Amino acid sequence: MTETKTPDRLRVAIVDDEEPARALLREYLAAHPEVEVVAECANGFEAVGVAAEHDVDLLLLDVQMPGLSGFEVLELLDRDVAVVFVTAYDEHALRAFEVHAVDYLLKPFSAERLGQALTRARQRLGRPQPGLAGIAAAARPPGVPLTRLLVREGPQVHVIPVEELDVAEARDDYVCLRSRGREYRKQQTLAELEARLDPGKFVRVHRSFIVNVERLARIERYAKDSRLAVLKDGTKLPVSRAGYSRLRDKL
Amino acid sequence: MHPILAYRGRLGPYLAAWVPLGGLLTGLLAIAGSPWGEAAAIAFPMALIYGFICLAAWYPCKSASPHEVPFPRVIATQAMAAAVSAMLWLFLVDTWVVLLEQIPAFAKATERFPRLVPMILAVGVVLYALAAALHYLLMAFEEARRAERNALELEVLAREAELRSLRAQIDPHFLFNALNSISSLTGSNPAAARQMCLELAEFLRESLRVGGVASIPLAEELALTEKYLAVERARFGPRLRVEREISAEAGTCGVPPLVLQPRVENAVRHGVANLVDGGFVRIAARRSGDQLRLTVENPVDPGVAAKPGEGVGLANVRGRLAALYGQEASVEIRRDGDVFRVEMVLPAAPAQAR
Repeated sequence: MTETKTPDRLRVAIVDDEEPARALLREYLAAHPEVEVVAECANGFEAVGVAAEHDVDLLLLDVQMPGLSGFEVLELLDRDVAVVFVTAYDEHALRAFEVHAVDYLLKPFSAERLGQALTRARQRLGRPQPGLAGIAAAARPPGVPLTRLLVREGPQVHVIPVEELDVAEARDDYVCLRSRGREYRKQQTLAELEARLDPGKFVRVHRSFIVNVERLARIERYAKDSRLAVLKDGTKLPVSRAGYSRLRDKL
Repeated sequence: MHPILAYRGRLGPYLAAWVPLGGLLTGLLAIAGSPWGEAAAIAFPMALIYGFICLAAWYPCKSASPHEVPFPRVIATQAMAAAVSAMLWLFLVDTWVVLLEQIPAFAKATERFPRLVPMILAVGVVLYALAAALHYLLMAFEEARRAERNALELEVLAREAELRSLRAQIDPHFLFNALNSISSLTGSNPAAARQMCLELAEFLRESLRVGGVASIPLAEELALTEKYLAVERARFGPRLRVEREISAEAGTCGVPPLVLQPRVENAVRHGVANLVDGGFVRIAARRSGDQLRLTVENPVDPGVAAKPGEGVGLANVRGRLAALYGQEASVEIRRDGDVFRVEMVLPAAPAQAR
């Protein structure tokens, strides 16, 4: 009799908008006694909620889903969840997976292939995930600016269309987004955000501020080399010298 | 093909052009000392004979085309041809003069002939050169016309190839997802898995078949669309709701194959598949007078702006209908709030017999 090591338990959430696809994963996973399916989600919003509220080790995540895509889910996850993507066909996604060495299953896939993915995920568990945000960025078709911003508050996801964003402000280690009279906190740097916004509509007026050009009312000068941007709702923001020249180019 | 003999109506004017040359030759012979009557009796048949001989200039012109053969060889070939033509001419004219001699009025013709020989040879070479120039000109003209025709044919071929490739487009995403659904059903519901295999196969087979046909009855296009929807229903379940509004008389109209199914596929991909709770696909076809009106509607996520690249398929169908029907067809795309709508209008005609 050979000595076998008790396999670690693996808590898995299945995320796919198609019932047959979920059923297949369920069936394959039933052969792995160490795997516990803690949730099945039919869309990305549910997935983000489940990942926030349950102690999930691994997400089996479809890429194309209504509401939130698999990549958008990725952006909103805490970093200690392992992710295996499950996708039918997407050239951008495949390139992104290959570059970032995250495992992915191409539909249709075999039970053995899923078994390999589980093994790899288990090996990675507890180690920091390789730049998940980078995968999302790499999978995006180049040159296409963001159309909406996603912010998670606990299990809830807020979707902010970019045209509704007034100001983004860099705080300690997060960005504060102001929209529709509310403030949202997003774990991101202001430079990352700036890179993804349409440069024709958003201008970095200051080291700590990006402003929606459409919200600008006027620019005031208050000292020799200092200016203030006054928004239509009366908010005043500092404008640096470099920010002023960027603004002048745009307007 | 011979630029003169191959066309009806060219030989006549060509030979007619030799008649004034006959007059010219009459003058030359008279100057050389022949009486006018005798000169005319020799010169006009002589001109006609050379007209026929010069038709043979086509062969050296063809074999010594200045596009393909070095210029010195062109000159050498043509000089030789000119010499042979002139000699042949001289021989035939001599024969003619011997015949003429039988008529008492021209009894002295043979006697005077040797004086004419250098002139006949010189004129023969010059006229051959003119005839060769004419042949080159006509050949260049034919060449230009043929090039133009080839360009047109190529354009038509290119357009057909483009249409074929458009028709052959089957979304790989659809295919892989369908196979995944079959893989899933194989474990839980083998009968349903088999059913789905059959539906997918029928859809693919039909798509391939109609790809080679110019026009199919709308009823067939609708049947194809239903096969596609049957496959998608297995994936999306109750999230996909289909509404149909098809008038009976529309079904017999002929349509270009795969004019409707890809629109429905788009409606599923950009509508239903993007909505958390799914949605409807509304297909309408009706005939009003001599117009056939096809409409596909689907709800869209209000929060999502049009994705880049969404317009490619629609631009394709627009180009395809324009190529087939010109001004008689139109494609209208509208977004009313949360409903995306494509309306195609094409001339209502019964399907072509196959």
